[in-house]
Amino acid sequence: MLVVHATLRDSALVLWAEDADRPPSTRTRRDVRLHPFAASADELTDALGVDGEPTELTLFLPGTTTAPAPSPELGRETPSTRGHLHRWRVPALAASPDTALTVLANIDDDSTAVTYGSDVRYLAVVAGFACDLVSRGRVLPGITVEPDGAAARWRPVLIGPDASRQRGLAEAMPPICRAAEALTGDIATAAEIVDQMVASIADSVVRNRLDEPLTQRPRRTPTLADRWLAALTGSPVFAGPDEDVTTLHESLDAWYHEVSRATGPVRVLFRLTEPDGDGHDTWRVQFALQSTSDQSLVVPAEQVWDGATAGTVHPDEALLAGLGRASRLFPRVDDALLEARPTGLALTTEDAYQFLKRDAPLLRAAGFSVQLPRWVGASRLGVRLSTRSTTPTDPLGATSGGGFSLDDLVQFQADLALGDDIISAEELAELARLKVPLVRVRGQWVELDDRQLAAALKFMESPREGTITGREVLHEVIHGGGDLPLTQIEADGPLGDLLSGQADQRLSPVPTPATLAATLRPYQERGLAWLTFLDRLGLGAVLADDMGLGKTIQVLALLASERNGGTAPPPTLVIAPMSLVGNWRRETERFVPSLHTYIHHGPDRRRSDDFTAAVAAADLVITTYGTATRDRDLLAGIRWARVVCDEAQAIKNSATKQATAVRNLPADGRVALTGTPVENRLGELWSIMEFANPGLLGSAAIFRRRYADPIEEGNDPEAAAALKRATQPFILRRLKTDRTIISDLPEKQEIKVWCNLTPEQASLYQATVDDMLDKIANSDGIERRGLVLATMTKLKQACNHPAHLLKDGSALPGRSGKLARLEEILDELLAEGDKALLFTQYAEFGTLLHPYLAARLGRPVLWLHGGVPKKRRDQLIERFQNDDEPTVFLLSLKAAGTGLNLTAANHVIHVDRWWNPAVEDQATDRAFRIGQWRDVQVRKFICIGTLEERIDQMIERKKALAERIVGTGEDWLTELSLAELREVISLAPEAVSEQ
Amino acid sequence: MSWYFDEPTTRRKVEGGIKARTKRGKIGERWWSRRFIDVLESYGVGGRLQRGRTYARAGQVVHLALGPGIVVATVQGSRLEPYRVTIGVERLTDEQWRDVEAALAGRAVFRAKLLAGEMPQEIEDVFDDVGVPLFPELLADFDMDCSCPDWGLPCKHQAAVLYLLAERFDDDPFQVLLWRGKERDDLLARLRASAPAEASDDPTPVVDAPLNECVDAYWEPSVSLTRLRTHEPPPPSPSDLVLRLAEPPEIHVRRQPLVDLLAPAYAKLTAD
Repeated sequence: MLVVHATLRDSALVLWAEDADRPPSTRTRRDVRLHPFAASADELTDALGVDGEPTELTLFLPGTTTAPAPSPELGRETPSTRGHLHRWRVPALAASPDTALTVLANIDDDSTAVTYGSDVRYLAVVAGFACDLVSRGRVLPGITVEPDGAAARWRPVLIGPDASRQRGLAEAMPPICRAAEALTGDIATAAEIVDQMVASIADSVVRNRLDEPLTQRPRRTPTLADRWLAALTGSPVFAGPDEDVTTLHESLDAWYHEVSRATGPVRVLFRLTEPDGDGHDTWRVQFALQSTSDQSLVVPAEQVWDGATAGTVHPDEALLAGLGRASRLFPRVDDALLEARPTGLALTTEDAYQFLKRDAPLLRAAGFSVQLPRWVGASRLGVRLSTRSTTPTDPLGATSGGGFSLDDLVQFQADLALGDDIISAEELAELARLKVPLVRVRGQWVELDDRQLAAALKFMESPREGTITGREVLHEVIHGGGDLPLTQIEADGPLGDLLSGQADQRLSPVPTPATLAATLRPYQERGLAWLTFLDRLGLGAVLADDMGLGKTIQVLALLASERNGGTAPPPTLVIAPMSLVGNWRRETERFVPSLHTYIHHGPDRRRSDDFTAAVAAADLVITTYGTATRDRDLLAGIRWARVVCDEAQAIKNSATKQATAVRNLPADGRVALTGTPVENRLGELWSIMEFANPGLLGSAAIFRRRYADPIEEGNDPEAAAALKRATQPFILRRLKTDRTIISDLPEKQEIKVWCNLTPEQASLYQATVDDMLDKIANSDGIERRGLVLATMTKLKQACNHPAHLLKDGSALPGRSGKLARLEEILDELLAEGDKALLFTQYAEFGTLLHPYLAARLGRPVLWLHGGVPKKRRDQLIERFQNDDEPTVFLLSLKAAGTGLNLTAANHVIHVDRWWNPAVEDQATDRAFRIGQWRDVQVRKFICIGTLEERIDQMIERKKALAERIVGTGEDWLTELSLAELREVISLAPEAVSEQ
Repeated sequence: MSWYFDEPTTRRKVEGGIKARTKRGKIGERWWSRRFIDVLESYGVGGRLQRGRTYARAGQVVHLALGPGIVVATVQGSRLEPYRVTIGVERLTDEQWRDVEAALAGRAVFRAKLLAGEMPQEIEDVFDDVGVPLFPELLADFDMDCSCPDWGLPCKHQAAVLYLLAERFDDDPFQVLLWRGKERDDLLARLRASAPAEASDDPTPVVDAPLNECVDAYWEPSVSLTRLRTHEPPPPSPSDLVLRLAEPPEIHVRRQPLVDLLAPAYAKLTAD
């Protein structure tokens, strides 16, 4: 396996690679030695399938004089001390910008046989930044002098936040990226490397996108400008008389610098203020200087003229130069510049409206700072809708939803409203008479353009009282937008409960069903009531509780509760990622043993009549997204009582086959389960809602126009509020940090995570069992004990990952059920902003996991094992405890033994087990001091149908006994008889899961 | 072909001379340099001016220096020895400059535009007010001399220098003011409220830790990639915003201004 790396040398991306099959050290005696395990340029070319020019790098690498330290991705155990830097000669490939772009754009493609180092991943982020600049038109054509002559190049323009983004990229650069000697023997700085990289990628991206010349008419005798323009889309080098090129070069440079001048320590801020007194309508735009590094530092123009420094040398000049630039976009600034010491300018109401709509966005885009009054975008005329149910509500106030239907009629009244105030027809007429786009209503400024005014006048003429059905109210809440949006809704009764988004609080909790072999926590009872309520109304539900709050058990409770009293509704279909099928199976068996479950999955799954019969006999059918897609016709032949999508992010792309297949299954009810905060990912939210309540939110295009675009682009609080109103009836999301939830949770919550084996793992497991049982049968004494322990180790390694057992440096993705589940869980908890401790018993497994998880998750993965020196260990702990970024701390169980205090974590995961609960708990607790304010979720990974599950059961069954017999190690296992041993380690058929 | 004595032989080729940027059409694009050229061309001495332009484009002007009140240039003509051209203009007296400075300081627009590399049009009024027009109105206001035998005013060598001067004014309007006796920094210093000082290039440069202090985390970015990717969504902006931020250079291709040629490309780059 190759681990590919990249660095920049003399502005060009240079690729090199480490080869896992080569020896770790060298014996050659040279001044600068050849890297012992670097791949040759030819191998690199073959592995990457790209063109490059073979070359040789001189790299500074840590390590000893005979052995450079391998990168983490190589998966070799790293020596405890990294040593000093030494120079190494490394075969490499110099890539053209196009090739660089190809390589960097495809690093997430798992099908390639190579692994990419964190340096390549980092450079891909830099390249992504360059692409982003191009897509926003932040480039300017210019000339650079290159070895081949003058070249027409597109240069990146960094204005405002882009400049700080680029600086941030340089600051974060992994040291390896700047470890290459230039041909001159110099070492480039991080800032230079990022500069060069962004410039070369941006130029290359522009050329790829502009596939035609900028001017169509070729000339027989092209001028210099013609040739330069042609070179901007064609071959970059162009020729011309030196002095002419110099002149052109200078004027283009001058232009570039003028355009980029927005990037200084201060920028001009424009603040729009309302007319202060009544009677006149003079608005003002006030000028000020704002520090770009500390945005709270604002110095008004008045103080600039009085000599305030504003953190720059010539604040007055910065202000004037900024105003001079701004006047190109906002010509009214010229008026203010007629004064000696301009501090602002006066605007009429009409101008102020134009400023809001036209000038302010333009100034912002150009890197200026703009401050608008708080009401801008937030207060507009809208409709307030109140409804009263025609049937009396439950006198106790607690509604159960029983008997209520969305087709029931309610009385309604609609009013024109501004904030909390109702606007009368007379007031509206007065506003219409003013004919200005900004009006003051009861001391409050409001935007009122012609369209809104027309809509408001029309609204006043329509009937504003009467009766409608609940369904129509719901439709109004979701679709009542346009020029006169619905801004407030007041409803009583069950309809009010539904629309409030707090139905779970208002409904009477449904107690734990008798057939549930567990006690629901209070918030889970409320969740059950909510699921039942929506179910009865025929509405789909999105249960988006935080991970670990028990979404599965709430769904199982719903199934148990609807079977109370012997009724037998049609079966529910659960569709889950493959990695969760085992978990559903085990949790169902454990919590509602009375449910008949059929798992529709794997090559031997039932077809046609067999299938129909199996489903008819089942209460719960469990399948995977893959199988549901493949068997969509078969599954669509059943009328399901309910379809449940677990990890509903799986259908976030509505156009995929998977999402379509799942959406098209006929069902009376639908439930989507997700732990990721859907409200922040609007495309995903639409797709999940489209599954739960088909057609309710309208088409994706309508949704995008009405909600997603305004929210994502304009940061529109009103659209955000409207979206919340439209979706809150259907989404229940409780956070584990909610005060009420915390009080319901135990301090330390233990969760077992059941995983399946992949077929590869299963065959390795089976082969080990066959081989070892034979040997154990023919041995005794110390030899037998040794064999038993070795067997246990090998089987646990097979459960972890084939690469862990085989130690062949092979690639990790897609080969382990445990790893798949681990990735999902880590993804989810990091998305929630949490930190986790991840324990493994095996340092070698940690060494494999560390670079893989770091690359997969894109978040810091710290790795603490026995070989980490004290200083580094303290740094890691420091970072984990104090950096507010979601982080995974991977620890070997042994290294975690002493003196750790990692209270920043609220998740503990044991990816493999130490079959000794005392030792396990001790490690957990030592690392994690209980008694903090937050709750802790402890997860233990267990492979179904393997020794992991059996031993877990044994420990559970006789916990007291276990504590006595297990002592301090795993030796107790060696005392088992051969028959007992066979039973413990044999592989059950349900262990395997395949796609 | 004419046989006047002022055009006896062909000009000698010059290596490394100063060439006019424009290859055809007018020279001098900004209003302020146009104003200057207009004075010259209002005299209608077409033949010489045409030849002067040709000289300017061919790079016959070997050297051109501009200082307060004077321009000195050497122009390669037909003789071996290049001609020496001087073009004098009336410098403003210190008193006149004080008046101009006072008037300029009275309106921020002047400083704002001058700092942005532009010449505010109203600046003409300021000079008119102190009685010294910024641009001489008559050719006679220039004190011109050339060592060539041509008695015409201007001769083609002077004309060539005047055209190049116009281009120089295009690039840097402060050169006009320098010609009238005031250096850029001097003028700006006087227009500033505070005392001048040198500004640093980059207020917050990135400082790399020495490589040998990084061996413990040699392969890791110091900030996670997810965090590096995370940023505030940029405000929406028109596709050609960067083309509108500053006065573009006077580059034309087939009579079309550069910006007009570029705008469609920007629309393409920013299309989804």
